[in-house]
Amino acid sequence: MSAPRVPTVIFIGQPNSGKSTLFNSIAGHKAETSNFPGTSIKHTHSRVNIEGRLLDIVDLPGTYSLCTTDPAEQVVLTHLFAERPDLVVNVVDASTLSRGLELTLELVELGYPMVVALNMMDVAERKGIQVDAPAVEKLLGAPVTPTVAAHGRGVKELLERAFEVLNKGQSLRTLRWSGDIEEKVAEVERLLPPGFPVISNPRFTAVKLIETAGHACGDFLGEVEPGLKETVDRVRRAIEERRGAPAYEVISAERHHQAMKLFEETSRVLHGKRMTWDKKVDAVLMHPVLGYVILAAVFLAFFFIIFKVGSPLESLLLGPFNKLKEVLAARLGGGLLFFLAEGLIQGVGGGVAIVLPYFLPLLFLMSALEDLGYLARAGFLLDAFMHRIGLHGKSVSPFILGFGCNVPAIVSTRILESQRDRVLTSILIPFIPCSARTTIVLALVAFYLGPLWAMGFYAANILVVAVVGWVISRFMKEPSPGLILEIPSLKAPRLVSILRKTWLQVYSFVKFAWPLLIGGSLVLSLLSYFRADRWINDILAPLVVKGLGLPHELGVTLVFGFLRKELSLIMMLQALGVDYQNLLTAISREQIIVFTVFISFFIPCLSTFVILWKEIGKKWAFVSAGLSVGVALILSWTVRLVL
Amino acid sequence: MNLVNAPHNTPLRIADLVGGEGVRRRLMALGFHKGDIVELDGQAIFRGPLLVRSCRSDTTIAIGRGVAQKVIVELVHERS
Repeated sequence: MSAPRVPTVIFIGQPNSGKSTLFNSIAGHKAETSNFPGTSIKHTHSRVNIEGRLLDIVDLPGTYSLCTTDPAEQVVLTHLFAERPDLVVNVVDASTLSRGLELTLELVELGYPMVVALNMMDVAERKGIQVDAPAVEKLLGAPVTPTVAAHGRGVKELLERAFEVLNKGQSLRTLRWSGDIEEKVAEVERLLPPGFPVISNPRFTAVKLIETAGHACGDFLGEVEPGLKETVDRVRRAIEERRGAPAYEVISAERHHQAMKLFEETSRVLHGKRMTWDKKVDAVLMHPVLGYVILAAVFLAFFFIIFKVGSPLESLLLGPFNKLKEVLAARLGGGLLFFLAEGLIQGVGGGVAIVLPYFLPLLFLMSALEDLGYLARAGFLLDAFMHRIGLHGKSVSPFILGFGCNVPAIVSTRILESQRDRVLTSILIPFIPCSARTTIVLALVAFYLGPLWAMGFYAANILVVAVVGWVISRFMKEPSPGLILEIPSLKAPRLVSILRKTWLQVYSFVKFAWPLLIGGSLVLSLLSYFRADRWINDILAPLVVKGLGLPHELGVTLVFGFLRKELSLIMMLQALGVDYQNLLTAISREQIIVFTVFISFFIPCLSTFVILWKEIGKKWAFVSAGLSVGVALILSWTVRLVL
Repeated sequence: MNLVNAPHNTPLRIADLVGGEGVRRRLMALGFHKGDIVELDGQAIFRGPLLVRSCRSDTTIAIGRGVAQKVIVELVHERS
């Protein structure tokens, strides 16, 4: 054949197995990381060159099993079943080996060429678990390499084994279950009609047909013929009668016992029973009283750190831009050229000096909390409160992510099992002040009225989320399925990983938002040069001037706010024709608050709107937009009346 | 006895998982099966969720009280 095909390697593992860390240490900076919005934020494709060989490597979201109803995990199945990979790298957390092996066994059944990374060996050792990797390898028939991805240990060996499999191929041997079950599986296997869309091998396909009862992976098996469906149903009933439990449960139990047996044969647990440090820390973090004190402290610290880092940085960075503008004003006079130059400086300066100083520490702290594993703990602590607004603790992590950016937060609602919870959480997320709005709040409210006002603003905002949630949940009565949430072991966050995450987000912000900020600024300059901004302002005047009591010039900034919230801030300065430091000469403190309230709520930004549409449908996206406008109007009127 | 009224910090054997298929599948995917030994490690205030640890794989999950009621357990008497 002609050009050699680039082999596809898929990384798969249970959540928190360190899969992405391993992926990143392989993909590293050599890879062009691109996020595919809408599939999963964690679903990353990279083409890497390892010692002269090209590989397409794919990092999939974590999944507990290959039989799932969870939409985030179904992405994994689509990839695994529809795009047959050349190699599967199964990442297993050695410290929770007996559970991790259940997925491994399922992958062995699937039968694609596979290597196993026995990851987090250091954590396992600390817990007193000794795993004999060669023994696991012998029993599974697939290469098993111990790794500590966080320190890059074992990665080279893993790659060597992977190339070995890619070169020579591999034949896995599936471990057999109890005779009676195998018999039933073989029965379905025999009756698969010719031309049936077999996934990998007939046995795996038969097992999945029995296990799924027509949902989850059932979709990938296509339309099941009536004759076959009858066979599958009969087999399922036969298993149920013999074992006294549903077929899916029997098969899951078979795998569970195989995994436990494998674990026992290959590992030794030294019962020291000493409390490890993470258990001690966890006892405090999830303590009925201390846990909440810490949670509150974490949030307070969060905002104070961002403000304390952001505001001096902002003043520092703004200086040169203002100087530049003065110089240009003196040189260029009042012509079109000056307007364009001013727009350019306003846009660049806004992006660099006003937005970035707050954005950077926020993203850094968010990544740290995420890596530490604190989000799940917050979910545990806040579950009872979430019940008041018709949700449960699993929605806490999307909400917290929402403080960073609403878009990935809405995508992450896929971890929720029920459609109702997903819709409700997704509708509430746009009310969470994202980093763009935090920037506005800190740059306007905190800077001009003091940090306490900003804190008050946040408290009020969270109250709004609660009230809106409570109201909507009155209309969505279906019961929520209740909380089942893994609490992953705490991990000391690693600076490299946090910095990488922060960098990736800053990079995508710079790439996506700066052109908009600068473009928006230039457009506004042109509009005001040709005096066209007046029309927009005139149209919006009834709302802006009469309704909100704001200066006439601010109408046009609302339009830009729909594109990106922080645009409104930059546009506001330009529209009012003042420097950031002299803002109070053009607008009063009360007006600043009204403006901030309205801008924060009045509509989800364009990207949020698009992702809402994509994730929960057009209807709900418009409901969300309508709700936002309603809430923004009510709140800003109230604020105006009160102040 | 179910997990809501079971004692804390004591080994318990899962005698049965009752309730809907969705809940059972989810629990099994997370490594909680009939016959497994688990321990209650803590609970949140205001009738919040319970922390359940699987003694075998040493994994911990938080489960709401509604789910906990569907996990039937018995005390493990023999010493391990």
